[in-house]
Amino acid sequence: MRITCPFCGERELGEFTYLGDAKPQRPVADAGEEAVYDYVYLRDNVAGVMSEHWYHSGGCRAWLKVTRNTLTHEISAVEPAAGAGAAKVGA
Amino acid sequence: MADFSWDVRSPLDRALVAGPYGAQGEAGVTLTEIRNFDLVQVMARRGKAGEMAKAAKTRFGVAAPDKPEAVGAADATLIWSGPDQFLVLSKGGKHTIEALGPIFAGSASLSDQSHARALISVSGEKARAMLAKLSSIDLHPDVFGVGAAAATSMDHTSVTLWRGADRGGQAAFNLLVFATFAESLWHTILDSAAEYGVTIGHSEEF
Repeated sequence: MRITCPFCGERELGEFTYLGDAKPQRPVADAGEEAVYDYVYLRDNVAGVMSEHWYHSGGCRAWLKVTRNTLTHEISAVEPAAGAGAAKVGA
Repeated sequence: MADFSWDVRSPLDRALVAGPYGAQGEAGVTLTEIRNFDLVQVMARRGKAGEMAKAAKTRFGVAAPDKPEAVGAADATLIWSGPDQFLVLSKGGKHTIEALGPIFAGSASLSDQSHARALISVSGEKARAMLAKLSSIDLHPDVFGVGAAAATSMDHTSVTLWRGADRGGQAAFNLLVFATFAESLWHTILDSAAEYGVTIGHSEEF
């Protein structure tokens, strides 16, 4: 599998580190125990197109949001993760 | 209190043995460690990339790289190292962190990497063939021309790789590697280059 880093271009999988599902959003402070439990522990086991966070650890060290089909490994989109620091990110 | 005598030496001081190595005959690969350089990491603060670029242009007379490439200025090389960040490589104390601090005050955070990296220059007829064993980057001259750069990995070690000016009609590649990984990568490079024959040396000049 190769990932096309928006900053570096196409790179081999070994340069990247997988974080996981990019969907979960941190609940608001008074959201309650159940919402926090869900956010911290519960993950969907997606068979199909999934949004994931990857880190280009062996390259430019940017956090990326990758849209990947978990059945075929087809990657349909790669974008910088929002709020990752670089000015371009989320802009 | 004990007195410490700081002995500044290269991370490759022990591993580097100047002279020929590997296959005999005309060497296909030349490995030269460049010593005693100034290296400063410049990273834009949030939302200040434009200001950082302006400050770099004023200081160096060239635009700082905003994509993977190495830009040559009069007395420094600016090497892209990631989004909104680059390295300033120079010699002779002209662009030390002390000198650059006021230039980028407010727009970028600086970090002195002068003693944190080893710089290895790879040239010779077989330089590309040797690097191809270690890198997944396409180094074909049509794709990776003079000034092309990459933040990538070799042998699971993060490196900054860029193509410098040709040397003796041959492509020359530069490798910046973390000091503590330098010896490990050096041995891997020697293993990869041995079949082509190697000339090993070190230099104070780029």
